[in-house]
Amino acid sequence: MIDIKNLKVSVEEKEILKGINLEIPEGEVHAIMGRNGSGKSTLANTLAGNEKFEVTDGLIHMNGLDITEMSAENRSLNGIFVCFQYPVAIPGVSMAYFLRAAINAHLENQGKEEMDALEFLNQSKEILKKLNLDDSFLKRSINDGFSGGEKKKSEIFQLLSLNPKFAILDETDSGLDIDALKIVADGVKEFNGKKNSTLIITHYERLLEYINPDVVHIMIDGKIVKSGDMKLARQVEEKGYSWLAK
Amino acid sequence: MNEIKNNSYNQFKKLGYPTKKLENWKFSNSSHLKKYNTIISDSNIDIKEYLKIKNTLCFLNGALIKESLENCDFKNEILISNTIDIKAKDTIKMSENFNNEALFNLGIAKFNEGIFIEFKKGNKDHIQINVINIYDKKSENMFAPTFNIFKLNKKNNVSIFEKDINHGFDSFNLRINKFICDDDSILNHSSIYQDDTQSNLLRYNYYQANTNTIINIDSFNCESSFNKDFIEIDLDKSGAEATVNALNLTKNDEHADNNILINHKSEHCNSSQNVRNILQNKSTSVFNGKVIVFEGAQKTDSNQSNKNLLLSKEATAHSNPQLEIYADDVQCGHGSTTGALDKNSIFYFQSRGINKEDAIQILVKAFAHTVIKTFSDDNIKKNAQAYIDKWMNE
Repeated sequence: MIDIKNLKVSVEEKEILKGINLEIPEGEVHAIMGRNGSGKSTLANTLAGNEKFEVTDGLIHMNGLDITEMSAENRSLNGIFVCFQYPVAIPGVSMAYFLRAAINAHLENQGKEEMDALEFLNQSKEILKKLNLDDSFLKRSINDGFSGGEKKKSEIFQLLSLNPKFAILDETDSGLDIDALKIVADGVKEFNGKKNSTLIITHYERLLEYINPDVVHIMIDGKIVKSGDMKLARQVEEKGYSWLAK
Repeated sequence: MNEIKNNSYNQFKKLGYPTKKLENWKFSNSSHLKKYNTIISDSNIDIKEYLKIKNTLCFLNGALIKESLENCDFKNEILISNTIDIKAKDTIKMSENFNNEALFNLGIAKFNEGIFIEFKKGNKDHIQINVINIYDKKSENMFAPTFNIFKLNKKNNVSIFEKDINHGFDSFNLRINKFICDDDSILNHSSIYQDDTQSNLLRYNYYQANTNTIINIDSFNCESSFNKDFIEIDLDKSGAEATVNALNLTKNDEHADNNILINHKSEHCNSSQNVRNILQNKSTSVFNGKVIVFEGAQKTDSNQSNKNLLLSKEATAHSNPQLEIYADDVQCGHGSTTGALDKNSIFYFQSRGINKEDAIQILVKAFAHTVIKTFSDDNIKKNAQAYIDKWMNE
């Protein structure tokens, strides 16, 4: 599904990612753990196609297609979705208008007919119910005045609505209480049950306990220094990262 | 009135055309207005189509077309006379600040046509009046000044929706309006100015609010080469409220200019200003917003917001929000922002599969919508919403 080779990325001429190699096959869930500033969010934004993040070397392939230079919208249309750590607030644009525009952009790209308002409403209501969100969520401006938990759920709502092939969850678990964490974890499990691939970026292993990823990677100073299974995540939770940096 | 007109002309001669040395004219040029010196009141255009529109007062080159009144349900609820015939000095008296404006004085000195509408006492039913200002500019350099007065008596509830239609050459339309609002009256004054003749519009609107009066002012302007609005509101008595919402869309070399002064002269009065400008190409905008809270105007609640969206690096927005407070128990806020579209917002749309052009369109419309949704009149809401798409895609 996703194949990243020797990826080097700079922000304002400072190298953040220093040669990432990562392969996530179809249907697998991988997790990347690391301290603040290790480059995790840089990887998420680079995969999303954010132009602020300059790829200086390396390649990103998705299902054999080179997407390294692809625009953000084309990456999305090809099936990449990032749940952002800090999604922007956009006053004046309702979630319903935004999401329906996004869904219809995907359908148009696939040569399909637009989703009508009623179908969109029915689909949205079903997903909102699973996330324990009220239908009025659709009328609210995107992330405007949302609590931390609502922002995370909003991202999961969009994920389940657009149903991409590959999702990156950038610290979607941070700032969530235990009930919200379970709801988000159930959302991710539902997504992954559809043979999609997922990359979970996190500080903590508590979300991973719910989701049980296939592979856990540790990122330190822009590089993946170790990969393993859930045991590795538990070791990090217990011992921290220092022993891996040596 | 003749004495007032003579005094105004002398005042105009004394002041001369405004220069950039004046605070309200610092960022706008008046020299190009000098050439508009021909006053024409007759016209050749066929006005039959306009007369068919119900509940609409039609003005042609500033003069009321009397036949238009026949198609108005409210004709028995108003008293109409010519402004020129008004004797009562209190009725004619305008803002002191306007009296220091040269072009205001020129308008008073030169207007030939204007109406005084008084809404009948005791009527509490809502009255909707549509006003169409038709300008038939048969020759170049036409100057069209008008002076209208609207008087609302106690508990009158009036909505006035104004629209301009220009024919022919470009011109200088100078419109002076006074609104007298008695106790417990409600006035909604909405105006749309959309002009493809690249004319110049200068407006002086003065509002007097008494006890528990509610005044809502909505303004939508686009495609005007030079559009300068002066709004002054006196909140004279306790419990009066005033809201000003304005949206200006400018492109090419166009100029939009809002000068708003709200005088809180009594306690427990509220006011709100929300002015947004969206600028393309080399266009310019000005916001001079001022709130004065007079001594004794305790429990004043006032806020003032000006936001400018620059869609071009060459566009310029000047913003000058001001507060003068002489009372100690008040709540007043003001703010101003000017900038381009947020790149992070555009990226967020793109990350969901929406292309950059569509993202920009949606974000611009959202910026405008935050003002449009506050417009009290459905006419202006629908017109503004529909017009933005056209304006963005031209």
